[in-house]
Amino acid sequence: MCILIAGCSPRGDHQKNATTLVFKHGKIAGDPAKFDALLRRFEKENPGITVRDEVLPSSTDEQHQFYVINLEGKSPDFDVISMDVIWVPEFARAGWLRDLSHLLPGKEGEDFFPGPIEAVTYQDRLYAIPWYIDAGLLYFRKDLLRKYGFSPPETWQELVGTAEYISNREKGIYGFIWQGKQYEGLVCNVLEYFWSNGGDVLKDGKAVIDSKENIQALGFMRDLITKYKVTPPLVTNAVEETTRHIFGNGKAVFMRNWPYAWNIFETQGSPVKGKIGVALLPTFLKGMSASTLGGWQLGINRYSRLPAEAEKLVLFLTRADSQKTLALTIGYKPTRKALYGDKDLKKAQPFIAGLYEVFIKARSRPVSPYYTMITQVMQPEFSAAISGIRTPAEALRSAEKQISHILRVEE
Amino acid sequence: MTGRDSGNKFVAPALMLLLLVTVYPVFSVIYLSLQRKLLIFDISKFVGLDNYVFLLQDDRFWNAMKNTTYFTAASVSLELLLGLSIAMLLHRSFRLKGPARALVLIPWAIPTVVSAKMWEWMYNTDFGILNYLIGSKVNWLGDPFWAINAAVFMDVWKTTPFVVILLTAGLQVIPRELYQAAKIDGAGSWDIFKSITLPLLKPVILIVLIFRTLDAFRVFDAVYVLTGGGPANTTETLSIYAYKVLFQTLQFGYGSTLSVVVFFCIGCISIFYVQILSRDMKR
Repeated sequence: MCILIAGCSPRGDHQKNATTLVFKHGKIAGDPAKFDALLRRFEKENPGITVRDEVLPSSTDEQHQFYVINLEGKSPDFDVISMDVIWVPEFARAGWLRDLSHLLPGKEGEDFFPGPIEAVTYQDRLYAIPWYIDAGLLYFRKDLLRKYGFSPPETWQELVGTAEYISNREKGIYGFIWQGKQYEGLVCNVLEYFWSNGGDVLKDGKAVIDSKENIQALGFMRDLITKYKVTPPLVTNAVEETTRHIFGNGKAVFMRNWPYAWNIFETQGSPVKGKIGVALLPTFLKGMSASTLGGWQLGINRYSRLPAEAEKLVLFLTRADSQKTLALTIGYKPTRKALYGDKDLKKAQPFIAGLYEVFIKARSRPVSPYYTMITQVMQPEFSAAISGIRTPAEALRSAEKQISHILRVEE
Repeated sequence: MTGRDSGNKFVAPALMLLLLVTVYPVFSVIYLSLQRKLLIFDISKFVGLDNYVFLLQDDRFWNAMKNTTYFTAASVSLELLLGLSIAMLLHRSFRLKGPARALVLIPWAIPTVVSAKMWEWMYNTDFGILNYLIGSKVNWLGDPFWAINAAVFMDVWKTTPFVVILLTAGLQVIPRELYQAAKIDGAGSWDIFKSITLPLLKPVILIVLIFRTLDAFRVFDAVYVLTGGGPANTTETLSIYAYKVLFQTLQFGYGSTLSVVVFFCIGCISIFYVQILSRDMKR
């Protein structure tokens, strides 16, 4: 009877079992049961350790706020945390993460894509292990390109030409849509133009955003709307889902978006099923195509009482076979390069296996502990440039001034 | 004398409580505003008036000030005009007066965040009902000119009912005899409105203005959910800017400076209105 009662008590009691690991993460895409099965496999492999996973709100900003408040308050209530690619340097600088450099000794870090490894490195130490990866893609309408005899564009200029030609002949179809609302997604979009023109935001810890290359790239984005008219003005308020709906209803030739949209387009009943292709994003300079890196990393709370057990879970979840399982069951894209040659994955998820080229070229947003402050400067300035309130030159001059001010904070 | 003494003793606990929950936080925010403070990186330095000097040169602050002022002036004046008209209409006797009054209240009863989300969809360029009805492709929330006005319009839709309730209550206490007497004297309806309704409604109108101006000046949730401050900060109000600085980028020092300035503005507005109101009462 006693055992029965104990068994019935909720797992979230104040008295935490000494060997219960708490794993915090955002909502799992797809079927949660599949993810649960993976955690049970970990428990089987590690007798004596149980894992309780706790899901945070799906908004990335809210997750960030949760961690900042709880980690600043030195909360030991969770052990393993899942972090967006832009948070690691900030959390590491604040002293909230355990140094995990010893988990990837020697050259093991080279098994992973370089982008995420760069993003989890702060002052030459690793503070998290890349778990799954994301990056910007160019979606295009295979059927329409074939109909008018075009191949997927390699440069931005080619994209403009193709989009103009097709949207002038197909009624009610936009040329090219992307995410231009004042939010983090806009920064992801703009950086892809900067990088593919040889520009950047920070270099050696200094702001270099006010450059000829960047002014040109940002001006081109504005021109897409006003001069070439291949992008409708509605992008200045569009997020991922806005563009996904438009493209998914067959109302655009090209779209910039993340890989998640693919599966939705390919489900039964989708108007664009079987009509879609993806490619690397176009570029201004030959060979400079760049995607903004997204994805999630696993780290360990500095105040965790179970660091050794937590390390086991991080290693387990980022192991090749676990990443493969997650790719096959819920479509998470592995961070380990070798898996993209895996026979099973190629057969079951050919789309994912084909993304190798994109991920190897994916670049991380400015790696800085002050990124959340820097992006708060970039978002309104970029928005001002694409909606025509300020010229690109004015916007970037103002951004550079403000970013330099932020970087001086430690003086 | 003794009566006054014991009176002081009676209010002492309440005063202590007030000191604790209002005066102490206010002073601690003012103290914070004089520091450069990044809590999570253990950066904390007393910098005197540096933050205030930076604020004076901060284009983003002045932009937020401009947006807030525009939002407040536009929404409050529209709400007052509309609210007054609707209140006058509802004050007349007609069938279904009860249900009509209840219906007017609906927008006020919906939680702000819900109505903001609702409007976000209605303003949608491609799928929104607004563009469908007028047969256009206006980029309501993405166009710098429309976005702030879209926010004003939503606020007017949401808060006019509040103005209507207060003004209806005010209208009900105006003695009917005054109207009857005026009619006998042959006054037209404009004269009656100008010389009876408006003067007698003035205290209520002032109270409406106080509530609405202060609320509009501090507006946060409605606009934050609708646009997040975009495009290009054309809808970023002072409260949204302060929130971003305080809670998204965790700059407690400068964020507090912004809050102090908002507090100061609100203080000035309140004093202004209270002055008018008390002058009005004395007469």
